[in-house]
Amino acid sequence: MIVLAADLLAPDAGLIFWIAITFGLLLFVLSKFAWKPITSALSERETTIHKSLAQAEKALAEAKQLQADNTKARRDAEAQAQAIIRESREEAERVRTEEVDKTRSQIKQLQDQAQAEIAREKDSALNSLRQEVADLAIRAAEKILRENLDADRQKKIVDNFLGDLTKN
Amino acid sequence: MMIKRAFIFLVLAQVASMVSPRVVLASDEEGGFDALHHSANAYYLDFAPFGKMELPRIFVVQREDGSYGLELFRSTTSAIRTGHFTVELVKDTHEEAAEDLLGESIGQGESAPVHQEQVVHAEAEGDGHAADSGKLTLAELEGHLLAPNGGHIVLDLSISRHLFFAWIAMGIVLFLMTRLAGMYKRGIGRSTAPRGLFQNLFETIILFVRDEIARPNLGDKANKYLPYLLTAFFFILTSNLLGLVPFGATATSNLMVTVVLATFTFILTQLGGTKDYWMHIFWPPGIPTFVKPILMPVELLGIFTKPIALAIRLFANMTAGHLVILSLIGLIFSFASLFGSGAGFGVAPVSVAFALFVYMLELLVSLIQAYVFTMLSALFISMAIQEHHHDHDEAHHGDEHVSAHTEAISA
Repeated sequence: MIVLAADLLAPDAGLIFWIAITFGLLLFVLSKFAWKPITSALSERETTIHKSLAQAEKALAEAKQLQADNTKARRDAEAQAQAIIRESREEAERVRTEEVDKTRSQIKQLQDQAQAEIAREKDSALNSLRQEVADLAIRAAEKILRENLDADRQKKIVDNFLGDLTKN
Repeated sequence: MMIKRAFIFLVLAQVASMVSPRVVLASDEEGGFDALHHSANAYYLDFAPFGKMELPRIFVVQREDGSYGLELFRSTTSAIRTGHFTVELVKDTHEEAAEDLLGESIGQGESAPVHQEQVVHAEAEGDGHAADSGKLTLAELEGHLLAPNGGHIVLDLSISRHLFFAWIAMGIVLFLMTRLAGMYKRGIGRSTAPRGLFQNLFETIILFVRDEIARPNLGDKANKYLPYLLTAFFFILTSNLLGLVPFGATATSNLMVTVVLATFTFILTQLGGTKDYWMHIFWPPGIPTFVKPILMPVELLGIFTKPIALAIRLFANMTAGHLVILSLIGLIFSFASLFGSGAGFGVAPVSVAFALFVYMLELLVSLIQAYVFTMLSALFISMAIQEHHHDHDEAHHGDEHVSAHTEAISA
């Protein structure tokens, strides 16, 4: 009753008329001149931001890929260098060992040769000694036979001969 | 600058011309005040205690010979002064109601209304004189005007206080939003970040309406309804807040205003209605045939209850806050008249503190109700534009969810 008395709920056709028209007009004008530019600007900005973000992400991924590639290449190069160094070291070692072996075998060969030479020299010396001894013996025998001597003399001759032998 | 100054001067001159010692006196004579009176619509702006400013009156009248005509007046006073219109003094019915409520317990307080009654009668007797000379009393200002000589007013298109403040709200929204649009047009906020408090603040609100209200409800059709939702949101918010400004009035505390707003939602809902929507109303699927004729009127009624609830919710919320504030202030005068002025002074700090609290609450409610109206508008539209691809069980479930949501908000 109070509410009705104070005209709070009284129908007011004039007010409805004015509000309907002016609110409709407001809706039209705002849609055309405010909401359209604002919302289009906002969505445009959002698209730009999204695009930029996607681009940045892509660039980052690319950079990461590039870095990974670089790292991989460097690692490969390092590994390669290591391999080369190792290989050359091995090669050097091998060459050295080979050289040493060769020298050793040469020395051995020389030694063998020398020993063979010595042996041969010795053999030939012994041979010549034997011939000499034989000759001497024969000559001594000749002398003995030729001189026909007594036992003392014979003994003396033999001793001389033996003395000569030891001297030789 | 000059134009602005001239405008202010004109407004001040107008206000000065409208201010009348009689009116000020009359409002003093009231003795205390009436909360409902302040919330109700009227054809003047109340700048109490400085006076009142009458608003233009526009009438569509049917004259005695049956012809229609449009009559324009600068104010109620001039309408009466021309002699074309007479004021029908409705002797304060709300005054009587107040007396009924308070009963006999008033005691001394009765003297004031009695005194005022006499004043009103005196004015009623000297009606012609009042029209000729000087200003009108409050009772005359509030009275219904009658067209003379057997003619009658077909449509009262007068600019009322609530209409005036609705227009101010519209003007503010229009001004702010076209300015904001101008900034975006110039490229600020389009290709760069938004600049300044103004743009950031309103962009946040616009994005809130778009991302939290329009898109979750309307999905890919959000852009189509976004202009309406934004307009409704900002108009309601501005109107609500204007009621909290000194000398302001809340246009949204007028049922006619909220009914028009709800009608816009209603029309948009029905225009957007898909085949499924109408099918659900006139031939609900998934239920026995003999139940369908029973359900049809219920569904049909549902079309109308939604916007009506929308209108009443906004109206009631905005009216209630003001009534509570004014009642709290009125408590001071009630205590003063019941237990003496000492009690009035004693109650004043408590009343003012509570009124301040309710004022803060009203700020919150202004925002919440703008949000709720927009939210529910979006929800109702979305329910109409939805195309059900799923079976009915799911649809029913969805409806239940929606109504639960609605109740939660309205509570």
